[in-house]
Amino acid sequence: MRDPASTGRISGLLLACLIAWPLLQQAQVHPAVLLEPGNLKVIGHFLQAFLPPEHGREFLDLLFTATLETLAIATVGMALAFILAVPMAFLSSRALSTADIGPGPGGYREAFLRLTIRGLHTLLRGIPELVWALVFVRIFGLGPAAGVLALGLTYGGMLAKVYGEILESTERAPVRALLMAGSKPLVACLYGLLPLCGRELTSYTVYRWECAVRASVVMGFVGAGGLGQLMDQAMKMLNGGEAATILLTFLLLVLAADGLSSALRAWINSSGKIESPAGFGLQGGLFMMALLAAISFSFRGLELNFTDLFSADAGHQFMDFWLAFLPPDSNPEWLARVGQGTVKTLAISAVGTAFAVIFGGLLALPAASSRRNPLRATTRFLLNALRSVPELVWATIAALAAGLGPFAGAIALGLHTSGVLGRLFAEALENAPTGPKLALQAAGTGRLLAFLYGTLPEALPQCIAYILYRWEMNIRMAAVLGFVGAGGLGQLLYVELSLFHQAQASTVIIAMLLLSIAVDQASAWLRQRLVK
Amino acid sequence: MSRYAFSLKAVGLTHGNGSIALGSISLKADPGEHIALIGPSGAGKTTLLRILGAALKPSCGDCLLLDQDPWQLPPRGLQRLRQRIGTVHQAAPIPGRQRAVTAVLAGRLGQWPLWKGLLSLLYPMDISGARSALARLDIADKLFSRCDRLSGGQLQRVGIARVLYQSPELVLADEPVSSLDPTLARQSLQVLCADAMARHTTLVASLHAVDLALQHFPRIIGLKDGAVLFDLPASEVSEDLLHTLYGNESYHEA
Repeated sequence: MRDPASTGRISGLLLACLIAWPLLQQAQVHPAVLLEPGNLKVIGHFLQAFLPPEHGREFLDLLFTATLETLAIATVGMALAFILAVPMAFLSSRALSTADIGPGPGGYREAFLRLTIRGLHTLLRGIPELVWALVFVRIFGLGPAAGVLALGLTYGGMLAKVYGEILESTERAPVRALLMAGSKPLVACLYGLLPLCGRELTSYTVYRWECAVRASVVMGFVGAGGLGQLMDQAMKMLNGGEAATILLTFLLLVLAADGLSSALRAWINSSGKIESPAGFGLQGGLFMMALLAAISFSFRGLELNFTDLFSADAGHQFMDFWLAFLPPDSNPEWLARVGQGTVKTLAISAVGTAFAVIFGGLLALPAASSRRNPLRATTRFLLNALRSVPELVWATIAALAAGLGPFAGAIALGLHTSGVLGRLFAEALENAPTGPKLALQAAGTGRLLAFLYGTLPEALPQCIAYILYRWEMNIRMAAVLGFVGAGGLGQLLYVELSLFHQAQASTVIIAMLLLSIAVDQASAWLRQRLVK
Repeated sequence: MSRYAFSLKAVGLTHGNGSIALGSISLKADPGEHIALIGPSGAGKTTLLRILGAALKPSCGDCLLLDQDPWQLPPRGLQRLRQRIGTVHQAAPIPGRQRAVTAVLAGRLGQWPLWKGLLSLLYPMDISGARSALARLDIADKLFSRCDRLSGGQLQRVGIARVLYQSPELVLADEPVSSLDPTLARQSLQVLCADAMARHTTLVASLHAVDLALQHFPRIIGLKDGAVLFDLPASEVSEDLLHTLYGNESYHEA
């Protein structure tokens, strides 16, 4: 008797090998370059200089200012995103459609408006924030303004999408009742929807702020202020000591944002349940005041001068700059190069993610161990360190070890994603039911086999979902890694924008946008198929 | 062949919070005996079975399983001892995404070398073995089905098939048939007993259904409040004893 699944398994394996080979070629994976004496010497010198980390007074002052600036960019950027997202979500969500209740007038108008706004936020979030930042730096000059606007636009699009989804997945009966009784959509939303999903919305917003902190860390690589600018300088001068201090700051900043955000979310989810009366309450009021204070301090600290930015003179330059993007260059030769760049970007993301699945998976095993031992603590710290350093920073370091090019990009993605996936895998393994594993061990099965037969099948769907999700993010990230010389679409864009070839840049941006939309669709489809 | 299948001397288990799960129990069983454990919920049946399965270390007393003291053995020795003991669990501890064939073959992972266990994840290494174990429980047609597509009763029988495939010297069963309908329950118990008979192995099963226990098992142990109330041949278990065992609640409904 034969296993009926074997044909599928064997052909799947063959197919995977067939796909993997050209991907490795495209990403120019040559592990041997890591061991070349020249490269070893460069990275060795750089790493040697890590100890002791730079701790001169002057540098620490600079670092402190840059850290504050990073936090301020994230906070103001989020505020801007929020202001953009709320009306977009309100107008694009089906939840408040009056025409949906019965065949009323205005149904087509509503549907058209929804579609337009959905298109708009797809456009906003489909273009990576670093691309926006790179473009804005060309318009507004170096400094945090470009970073704030870039974050605001991309995150505005993301928030609008998720807010809309949350509104639509909320229990519809209360708001329906209000709409049917003739109340205006805005009032119906405040009375019928927000009380139900307000907590979820707030919680998601806090989570996004945490992401914004991580995103603003790297804005400086394209000249948009914050810690990234310091890191960029340190890397260009191969100053290991400064780099070490900045990396430590990343670690602290990311862990602090992580901690603050999960504490806030825990508080949001627990407050106002049974004990405390409904409504804002004292704590909520204080929280709002603190939030407003943080935003206004950040705003002032950044010395954003929007009147200057939007003066008539700037307006002209602005229009000229934008108009040059049209029409996009559709010369077949250029299209072919953009196509190659897209393939390379996909290859970098796939190879990086595959590396992360293996490396992160290996680290997750000790990290998920139920016994608290030094190995568990060490791997957990390592995972945190790996994920606290942004991909772009890893790419600059990887470029020292492997030279500029796609391979450095794949290594960078792999290292950062290992940290993220390792942590998520460990969580999934810890949450898997232990019964099957314990039963196998009680029948004398060794630890490895008990894990493979008892625990892994339970945790696998969750892990696959995480891998797909991260791969999706990595494709977007791979598109911008080229800004620091790691190949793919980013490199093309960076070069063309530096030369003020907006028409060519425009083609690349459209390619990124299409890629991002395609990935969105593909991963939704894959997730449905694989995670059952 | 072991002298005793197990021998417990004044074995007790006290939980960390001070509650006593098992008082001081002394029991012996010869190889090849079939024993049913009965008693109300919370009497300590599962605890006793876990101690017999070397899955739980008693807090006091001497415990010999297949003539070995599991808690004096080095880790490898304990693992080898556990390979010789099989447990049918109340709810089959099988991942939903695993196929029945893999779940059954997992019964011998302890006996197989590592490479065989790893390879079997890619291609089942003993399809005919798994098939015949499942066939004894009338579910050979489910050989390649995923376990989350099986009904509760089918899944439970896959769990029993795994232990049959493991072919241990001491078979423990914790409410093995409580999720099966009366006919299936009877049949499955018969399969377990026949297997133990054929291989001359020891079978200890805890059962809620007293009539099943009396029918299929020559020796009955009544547990109450963590102590042995009686340990008698099935023919000597009287209505009165059962009333004492189950207290006010009627055992027929239990």
